[in-house]
Amino acid sequence: MTLRELAIRYGFLVLLFGLIAYFAVSADGFASPQSAVFIFQSVAITGILALGVTATLVVGGFDLSIGSVATSAMMAAAYVMVVLEQNAVVAVAACLLIGVIVGLINGFLIVYMRVPDLLATLGMMFLLVGLQRIPTEGRSIATGMTMPDGSVATGKFSANFLALGRHRFDFFIDNLLPASVVVLLVLALLIWFFLEYTRFGRMMYAVGSNPRAAELAGAPVKAYKIWAYVISGVFASIGGILLAARLGRGDIASGNNLLLDSVAAALIGFAVLGASKPNAFGTAIGALFVGVLLQGLTMMNAPYYTQDFVKGAVLVVALVFTFALSHRGKA
Amino acid sequence: MNITRRILGKMALSLAGATMLMQAPALAQDKPAPFDNPGEVKIALVRYLSTGDFFQAYLSGVEAQAKALGVDLRVLDSRQDAALQADMVDQAIALGVDGIIIQHGLTESMKEAAQRAVDAGIKVVAFDVNVENDKIPQIEQSDRDLARLALEQAIKDNGENWKAGYVYVAGIAPLDRRDETWKEFKAKYPGINEAAMFGTLDNPIANSVANQARSVLSANPDIKVMFAPYDEFAKGVKIAVDEAGLSSDIKIYSADISTSDIAAMREPDSAWAATAATNPAVVGQVSVRALAMLLAGEDPGRQVIVPPTLITQAQLNENDIKNMEELSAKLPQFAHADVAVPAWMPLPAK
Repeated sequence: MTLRELAIRYGFLVLLFGLIAYFAVSADGFASPQSAVFIFQSVAITGILALGVTATLVVGGFDLSIGSVATSAMMAAAYVMVVLEQNAVVAVAACLLIGVIVGLINGFLIVYMRVPDLLATLGMMFLLVGLQRIPTEGRSIATGMTMPDGSVATGKFSANFLALGRHRFDFFIDNLLPASVVVLLVLALLIWFFLEYTRFGRMMYAVGSNPRAAELAGAPVKAYKIWAYVISGVFASIGGILLAARLGRGDIASGNNLLLDSVAAALIGFAVLGASKPNAFGTAIGALFVGVLLQGLTMMNAPYYTQDFVKGAVLVVALVFTFALSHRGKA
Repeated sequence: MNITRRILGKMALSLAGATMLMQAPALAQDKPAPFDNPGEVKIALVRYLSTGDFFQAYLSGVEAQAKALGVDLRVLDSRQDAALQADMVDQAIALGVDGIIIQHGLTESMKEAAQRAVDAGIKVVAFDVNVENDKIPQIEQSDRDLARLALEQAIKDNGENWKAGYVYVAGIAPLDRRDETWKEFKAKYPGINEAAMFGTLDNPIANSVANQARSVLSANPDIKVMFAPYDEFAKGVKIAVDEAGLSSDIKIYSADISTSDIAAMREPDSAWAATAATNPAVVGQVSVRALAMLLAGEDPGRQVIVPPTLITQAQLNENDIKNMEELSAKLPQFAHADVAVPAWMPLPAK
């Protein structure tokens, strides 16, 4: 293995460990189990969204609607509990249903209506940003809010639901591991196994690299594509559930920052282990990389605009790794 | 959307022409002209910012006061498009309105549009945007007073020596004004030690700020006071404080308030000790009243400042206040501001 190949394969991981070592030395309190767990927590939501968008990248598509799916799910969860006064199970079910429906519509538009993926999901993004505001006429949802008709919403966020974002499991240290991190790790393992080792996942890669060849080989290309968008929608809605549980209210938000951060994580993932293609392990590392950087910089009192700058720089470097250094850049 | 608005505008224009021909006889009332016949008075609210609870409440205040006066209110919403907002002022001029309220916007894009309206003989007031025009009164919620009230409470609760975390994003006008007060306080009380400054407007803001605040707290576990002069910041800091299990060691002071903020402040052991706020609905009412005074030929003053109210966790708990309506009902100073209220001015029903 030449030096160049080594750099492509392990360069990004070395960079990640270098960063961690640097922050551990220069930022007080960075090198502690709490801090490590917290970095996972800070990337849990964007990480889950990124894993979802990875599924659409695998089939050669793209999903711009994930950010707004997440915030719509957050609003839906708040609406179901605060206004309709239902329990946590109903709220979670409603969110997941929204994810599935949005995924199906996205898939339908792209596969059967032949709308290009970026355009279809862009339309869906705007649609959802508007839709989430209609039931409350643009207000955020919290217990005690006044509804458009003048009545007061008396429902509460159920304790079980809030626990999804706030409960901590004991893991060597008491109250260490937040539920959202567990969800992230479980989903990451699931989608990694699914994409790498199941027939279904491998077929999705085949569809992505050459849909025509896959079709001629007898694969139901359309179904695989629609499934990818459903996975993306469901993951985004799970992100929204965790967001609602953490915030404890339904916050109107476009979710654009969630979208950008998660897409960045997925793209950085291309560079990990020299994969040069969307992959779940890379996405998880990409999300973690951004998380380590941002938390380390914040601990060193770096202002927010330097963080955007650094995020952008990392993405550019990662894309260079993927496209210029690797000969398989066309993937 | 634009096209329909333009068509509507043309229709309204021809309607206005028709009513002018008819000239209904003025009814004898104790209000000064033109409010002796308020149905003939048309005002426009030209908005730059509109999404969010604050702006929703502001609009409801504008609507309530316009209704109390009996005037015809048109709302033009540019949704953060500075160029469109300037066009909308021209639209309002074409509509033949008598008065315009400019709500937020950029000085650069609004200055000339506002001047055109003044030249057309239209009375104009501006809320939270400086259009650099002597003829246009500025409606302001006093951001400096907001910050001062919150910080005075922090001094009262914690003494004059503490380590502070400060949430700030430069370049946002109200936050910059609040920042001036923070700097004054730091100069006045050398015992205040700003250990960390952070902040972001990535949305959802509370979530992003929570992530930052967690890092700040692990780097500076001895912070006693968090000054977060914007409620979304405070909400984020509170999440981080709760997650770090420091609720009883840290106090949060903020500005602004909403129903969900009230719930967060009233949670058991909440670290969110106090907030200073102006009722956005009251600011909306004051905007319309100041414009009405101009239309009646009275002078509301160059600057119309709506004073803020300090709201503490203890007050909320004592009065069992659960939402903004109850806050207005139980803290009268929050529900009404004695600003721009000449004797003839009808007030919205409470």
